[in-house]
Parts: sequence; structure tokens; C-alpha cells
Amino acid sequence: MPIDDKTLVESAREDDSAPIGHHLETGGTPLDQVAAESGEGSRTLWSDALRRLLRNKLAVIAMAYLVLVTLLAITAPLWTKQLFGDPMYADTTKIMQTRFLPPSLAHPMGTDDLGLDTFARVVYGARISLMVGLLATAISVIIGIVLGAVSGFYGGITDSVVMRLTDVFLAFPYILLAILLISLMGMGLGPVLVAIGILGWTTIARVFRSSILSVKQNDYVEAARAMGASDLRIMVRHILPNALAPIIVYATMSIGGVILTEAALSFLGLGVQPPTPSWGGMLNEAQSYVVTQPALFIWPGIAIIMTVLAFVLLGDGLRDALDVKVSE
Amino acid sequence: MADDKLLVVDNLTMYFHTRDGVVKAVDGVSYELNSGETLGVVGESGSGKSVTALTIMRLIPMPPGRVEGGDVLFRGESLLKMSDNEIRKIRGNRIAMVFQDPMTSLNPVYRIGRQIAEPLILHKGMSKRDAWARAVELLDLVGIPHPESRVKDYPHQFSGGMRQRVMIAMALANDPDILIADEPTTALDVTIQAQILELMEELQKRIGSAIILITHDLGVVADMADNVLVMYAGRPVEYGSVDQLFYRPLHPYTWGLMDSLPEYDVDEKSKLCPIKGQPPSLINVPSGCSFHPRCPFAQPVCSTDVPEYRIIEGGHGAACHFAGDPGFTRAEASPVPVPAAEEVAW
Amino acid sequence: MSEILLDVKDLVKHFPVQQGVLASRLGKKCRAVDGVSFSVRRGETLGLVGESGSGKSTAGRAIMRLIEPTSGSVTFEGIDVLKLRGKSLKDFRRNVQVIFQDPYASLNPRMTIGEIVTEPLKIHRIGTRSEQIKQAKELLEITGLNPEHINRYPHEFSGGQRQRIGIARALALRPKLIVADEPVSALDVSIQAQVLNLLGKLQDEFDLTYLFIAHDLSVVQHISDEIAVMYLGRIVEIADWNMLYKEPYHPYTQSLLSAVPIPDPKLQRTRERILLVGDPPSPIDPPTGCRFHTRCPIAQFPICADVEPELREVAPGHTAACHFAKPFPILIKDPEDAGE
Repeated sequence: MPIDDKTLVESAREDDSAPIGHHLETGGTPLDQVAAESGEGSRTLWSDALRRLLRNKLAVIAMAYLVLVTLLAITAPLWTKQLFGDPMYADTTKIMQTRFLPPSLAHPMGTDDLGLDTFARVVYGARISLMVGLLATAISVIIGIVLGAVSGFYGGITDSVVMRLTDVFLAFPYILLAILLISLMGMGLGPVLVAIGILGWTTIARVFRSSILSVKQNDYVEAARAMGASDLRIMVRHILPNALAPIIVYATMSIGGVILTEAALSFLGLGVQPPTPSWGGMLNEAQSYVVTQPALFIWPGIAIIMTVLAFVLLGDGLRDALDVKVSE
Repeated sequence: MADDKLLVVDNLTMYFHTRDGVVKAVDGVSYELNSGETLGVVGESGSGKSVTALTIMRLIPMPPGRVEGGDVLFRGESLLKMSDNEIRKIRGNRIAMVFQDPMTSLNPVYRIGRQIAEPLILHKGMSKRDAWARAVELLDLVGIPHPESRVKDYPHQFSGGMRQRVMIAMALANDPDILIADEPTTALDVTIQAQILELMEELQKRIGSAIILITHDLGVVADMADNVLVMYAGRPVEYGSVDQLFYRPLHPYTWGLMDSLPEYDVDEKSKLCPIKGQPPSLINVPSGCSFHPRCPFAQPVCSTDVPEYRIIEGGHGAACHFAGDPGFTRAEASPVPVPAAEEVAW
Repeated sequence: MSEILLDVKDLVKHFPVQQGVLASRLGKKCRAVDGVSFSVRRGETLGLVGESGSGKSTAGRAIMRLIEPTSGSVTFEGIDVLKLRGKSLKDFRRNVQVIFQDPYASLNPRMTIGEIVTEPLKIHRIGTRSEQIKQAKELLEITGLNPEHINRYPHEFSGGQRQRIGIARALALRPKLIVADEPVSALDVSIQAQVLNLLGKLQDEFDLTYLFIAHDLSVVQHISDEIAVMYLGRIVEIADWNMLYKEPYHPYTQSLLSAVPIPDPKLQRTRERILLVGDPPSPIDPPTGCRFHTRCPIAQFPICADVEPELREVAPGHTAACHFAKPFPILIKDPEDAGE
């Protein structure tokens, strides 16, 4: 149907959405004409989305926070020991003088029950959380995309089998399965990564599958078949790039969920083992001092909350930024 | 006198203020409507034909829309100046609207009877039982078989054509003075379209409503309208009775529209003469006459001066610098020759 | 008369209505295309007309093996299309290309238009990279676009321009046959004319054969040499373009012609109208006998409800499937009418 005035009105309603020009039956938006005059510089859908993302203040703040935390976490070994002392091994001789110190320049978040600097520990905990968050999500995404792709693209029996498989996985309580896997593999970073990673694929597979199903309906996919494109080419060139957007959003947000799960597992003692600091582990250690030294759980708690929130807000922003173009 | 006319749209101007610029969606539109008349509003995408109707009904969100000037008088009363409460009493009651897409215009979770009864209960204060009974009558009126049982069905149990009939039933529930139909048949098959148009004509005779029929289809207009308004890029370019417009059109855009239509020749295929170029962006409306970049008869004055809408003969007028000039008719006017180097296909 | 390029006989496509391995085989079927036969000569255009539910788009796709027909035969240049596999199927695809209806869904939004137009060449390994780009620019120019825009993305173009890109893509392999599935339905009237003219020009320049699928009779008439009218999965009438309009024999064709609004007020006021009653039946449960009998103004019982009429010749080169086919010149132009 010709894009008509109705679309004009609707696009006017969502003030922050795509410029009206995109919806009109015109020769490109005025901005495009500007781009045309200036020679090269064509606007891909991704660059449009990036621009829109950058306009979203919350998302920008979230990104800035995450960049900061990541930088601190990556460079941690270079400066934590020098500035704040060893975050893992306490000087047992000085414990009584160094434990439970209030926040100060030397110890921005104070010290814990062993005299170790809390800030340094939080930063080290960030290393664990971010690494698990990103790697475990990566594992889930890879498994999920492959299975979702096969399911969505081929349909039929393959689809039924994969979907029933996701049903089975989804029927089990996530945490309990993780605990089971870890008890089989042993405790520590590796098992945590693997456990979370291989359990998290189900929703991604479903989301990707439905994204594929909807992209498949587009005529350009049929056009590719009509010109003799192989299944692989259609999958990689046509369907995947267009079906990715919801995955990007979901994966980003689920990093937050993974961080929470890792924290929970570490809290239960199943994740990284002491003395390696992790946020969940720090919460565990803070249990004995909940009433007397609340700072011990407040700091790692805040770290978890803020980091998870940042990923969620970023995911939100990505969804808004990618949405309009995806629907077109 | 203004009070005698059912609807007077007077130089209505409404722009959208968006981040990317000002979209001049409605730019100085005027027309009148009398009881029992049908006005066809013709234009392509982006012409502003739908937006004008939505502005009249106060259905445009403001912001980002804003009425920049002009007024709309319904039986002498300004619709634009009314309070929200007052305009709500008019919508669905004295002025009703039928939209384009019957698939999405009905609420899928409520029964048809309830959706038809709603305006009756709201505006006429009918009891639920009376309203449902009236709904059955209305379904019968619009030609839906077995209305007593169909009234309890849900929208998904009706076909596209049937749903459009239901929409019309809802719109006519309160015997409105004006029915605004926005591309009511565009989404329907041609044989169903014929049924719906026939129905609308019949009902108009029976109830006496005036109809504003918004469409891009000149054929539908030739069939249904008494008067026609042609719009381009938010501006009115020609207005006249249906015979005046079709047999003595004044504006080159109207000529272009008619030339682009494939005709039903039975002996020889005629050549299709399209209008070159694209409809303009409403943010960057061309200077002067908004049609000049695509007009085969454009002269230098067309790019500098905005043509005023002038009446040429008995109620028939156009917004063109040369409209009404001797020899400037569809048959006789000769296009300005374009140097070969400037010929653009796109 | 040139030779027959495409020959379709008794093409059938049924879709299972229910899901599931068993139910889809045994349960109800949507009989989208239920025995369709026609042929197209080289260099000519066959217009395939029908309303929604007529099966015209499904027939077009089945011929191209974008969907697999349930039964029937499709012969292209003497080759049985339905038996092709693998490489021979891929080679066949070089000869038959498609143009789609929706300019917004027919182009991959993440590919530049250069990539879109050169993709067929890449798939069939035609030419070097720079030759492919040169080809793409030529194709863009031929279809009325600016070749300098080769690195732009589809969303930077209007609907009419996107259709042109789709046409350029369809031409890349220099096909012999192009199946155009409602190529102008989603465009504004003034742009429709541009694209139709372009298609006509290209047909001459490239010696193309078109299967032009549409619901709009006026558009089809303009571009077709022959027209086939479909109703509920069957063809009800085939004739030369002018004969169909001058003297349609089948009552459905007559009502279709009568229903189309003509932009001529005097004609609209005076012409005869045949209004069909009710909605088209569902292709899942088509009426017995002649499928049109439930809405037909001249249906006679019991024959129309019992016996399905065959396509018979009713005039030279003109076939119709009706027990009572009679010509009815629906589009009478009043000679006094001075319509310009």
C-alpha cells in the first residue's frame, strides 16, 4: 500500500522516532539529499541506529559507566596492588589495625574484615563479573543462534525437535541446573562459565527463530531464491543480518542476568573460589557482618545493581535505536 | 451565510514541528460541504488529504502538530476552538469517520455488537439492550446477512468487505451529519469495493448525511462525488463539480493525473503519460508553486510566486498562474520544451 | 506468431490447513491453485488477473518453483521445469526472474543497491568484479536511476525508485521470462505510469516475455497481449486484451469489468452495473460444480452447481469456462461522451 498521510501522522506521534521524511513517498529524506550533495557517505541502517542510540541520554550514561568499569577492570593488575595493597592476600600481622576502616583517600570504600581494600576487591570482582557476563553470553548466543537458525530456516521436523528441546531446558529451574552442572564439573570460573553458557541458549534460540521467521517472509528472501542463491548464502547474506537486531538487544540485556546468576552462584560458594574476589563472594563474606559492618555488603551490592542496570538500560536504548529501522 | 453551510473549511493550515524540520502537511485548504453532498478529496501519498480530515476531527496530536491558521466551522461553530469535551460530543455523533484498513480498525477482543453499541450508549444514552437492538438494525441496514446472530461475533469472523460494512454501520449509528471516509475501499477487492460504494450511496440517500470521500482513485470520485478537491503537497490545487473537473480540468497536475491513468481502450492502446519526478517532501516544499518541478508547463514565475487559488468559472477554481488563460486547457496547452541535456528520467 | 515459451498444464497447488505431520496430509486443504492451464509466447505479455484468493500469485510462484506445485506440468522452452534439480534448476533460474509487489520488502535493507543488483551475477559467477559493477551501473541507468547512487541503501529511495531497483535486479541475468507479481499495485498513480512505461520499453529492448500478475484490470489491459482471468484457483476466461474488454463472455469477467470505477462521470452514471452478492467463497471449501455459481447472476440449477465447466473456445482465440457464456459488452463508451 502506498505510504500515506496516516503514516505521516503516526510517525509524528512518536516524537523521538525516525524522521518523518523516511515515511513519505519521496525521493529520500532531506538529510539524504544533504548527504548526496556532499559526495560519499551513504547512511547504513547501522549508522542510523548508532546516531539514534547516542541521542538517548540514559543509554549514553550506561555506556559511559560500562566503559569506565571495563577499563578499570582490565587494567586492575597494573595499579590496584600499588595503590591499595593486595586485594587477595592479607597481611595477617596487621589485620587488627587494617580491618573495617571507614572510607578514606587511601581506601575509597574502606576495608573489609581481613583489612583488604574494598574498592580494589570490587574492581577485581568486576573482572570476574564482566568476563563471565560477556563470555557466558557469547556461548549462549553462539549455541542459540545456530540452533535458532537451523530451526527457523528449515522448519518442519528440525524445528519441532529443537523447540521441544528448548521446552525441556526451560522446564528446569535455571539455578538448580547450574548447581547440578557445577557439582559435576567442580567449582570455579570455568565451570561457572560453561554452566551459565550452555543453559542460557534457549531464549536466544527462540528469539532468533522468530526473528528469522519474520525476516523470511520478506520478498527479498524469495528474490534471492529466485536468482538461484544457495541456502547458505540466503542464510548468511539475507536472513542473518536482518534478524540480528532482536538478538543484539536481548543478548545485551541478558548479560545483566548472567552477572546476577554468577553473583548468586558465587554467593553460594559455587563460583570462583576465594581468595579471588567476586561480587557474590564478597556478599557471602559480608553475611557475618551484616548488622555491624553493612558497608561490606553495600559496596559489592551497589556494584552489582549498577552494572546490571547499565546493561539493561543499554539494551533498552539499543532496542529503541534499532526498532524503527527493523520494522521498516 | 456561513450558518447555512454544514461544513466550512477556511484556509486551514496545519504544520508538524519535528526534529527534522517543519512538515507543511496542510497548507491553506478551503472547501465547503452542504447536506447530502459528497465531496471527493483526491491526492496521492503525502498530499495531505487524510491529514486534513484528521485535523478537522481534531485527531492530530498537538504537539507535534499545530494549527497555524484558518478555521473549521461546523454549522457555524468553530471545531478548532471547541473544548475537548465538546469535540468529543461531536465525534462519532454528528461527524463520523470510516478508516482505510478494516483489518485493524476494529478491536479484536470485543464483539461487533458491543463496538457498534458503544457510540450509541455514549452519545445517545441508550440502554445496553436498546443499543444492541439498534446494532442489529444497523447490521441489517448495511447488508450483513443474519444480523441477529452475527452481532455476537468477533471481528476475525468477518471478511474484509464485511468488516468495512461494520465500520460503516458504526459510523452511521447516530445518523451523523457528516461521514468522513478515508480510503474506505482501497484495501478491498474491486468487486467488494463496488458493493461498498453502492452501499454508501444508498445509505446517504436514506440518512441524508454528507460524505467526504478521501481517495487516490479518480474512478471512485467520478462515481460518487458531487464536488471534487484535488490536493498536492498539502495544498489545494483544484476544486470544482465533478463534471467541471473531469471534462474541463484547469490544473496541470489534474491533467497529469488523468493522463497517467490507463484507460479502458477497446481498440487501440493509448500511451501512458506519467508525471515525471516524485511527489515532494513536505519538509522541503519547492518554492513558488509546489508542482513546478514536475510541471511540463512551468515558467520562471512558477518557481518564484506561489499561485493563489482563483475561481475561474462558477465555483470551479484552481491554484495555477495560468489557469483559465485562453488556450491553456488539457487539449490545447503545449508543454515548455526542455533542452535535451536537462531531461531527467529520475 | 512466435513460439510458445512457457506452457502450463493443469497446475495444482494445495496448502495444508492444519499443522502436524498427519493432519497436514489428511486434513483440509487450501486449494489455492486448482488446475490452471495457459501458455505464453515469446516476446508477449500474458496478464493474469484475479482478486484476492484467486490464486494468481501462488500460480506465479509455483511456475518459478519458488513453491513446489502439488501436481501439473510446467514446460519452459520445451524443458520440464518440475523435474529440474541442482545445477539444472539453478541454470533455469537464469531464465526466469521475478519482480515483487512491495517495494519496501523486496530489497534487503542491509545491502547497497549495487550489491543487490550484482548479486545474481555473483551467484552465477558472471564477469569479474569490475565488470559486474559496470553492469550494475548500466542496469541502474536503463531503469531510470542515477548510476552514481550505486552505493546507497534502499531506504534512501522512494517506493517508485525501489521498484526500479527491483527491475534492474531482475534484468541482471538477462532472463527470457519475467514474472511480475503486482509490480505497480503499491505505487502512487503517477508513479505507476512511469513504471509501466519502463516495463514496456524494457520488453522491446531486451526481448522479454512477461507474466504480469495483477488485480487491477486497467493496468493489465495496458501492458498485456493476452489476459487470463482467475477465480478461486481456476481460470475462467482467456482472450486477447482487446477482446476481453470488448466482449467478455464469462459473467465473472463481466462483473469485474463492471465493478471497476472509471474516471468518467457521465459514463459512470449511465453504464450498466453488475453487482455481485456476498463475499468470495473460501478456497478451503470451494463451491461444487462451477465455483462461481454462488455469486453468479446467471447461474442456473442444477447444472451450475453440479458440473464444473471446462474452458471452451467461445470465439476465435477466446476461451471461457461457463455453461452459459455469452458476450456482454460491459464497457460501452458513449460516442457522444466528450471525455478528454
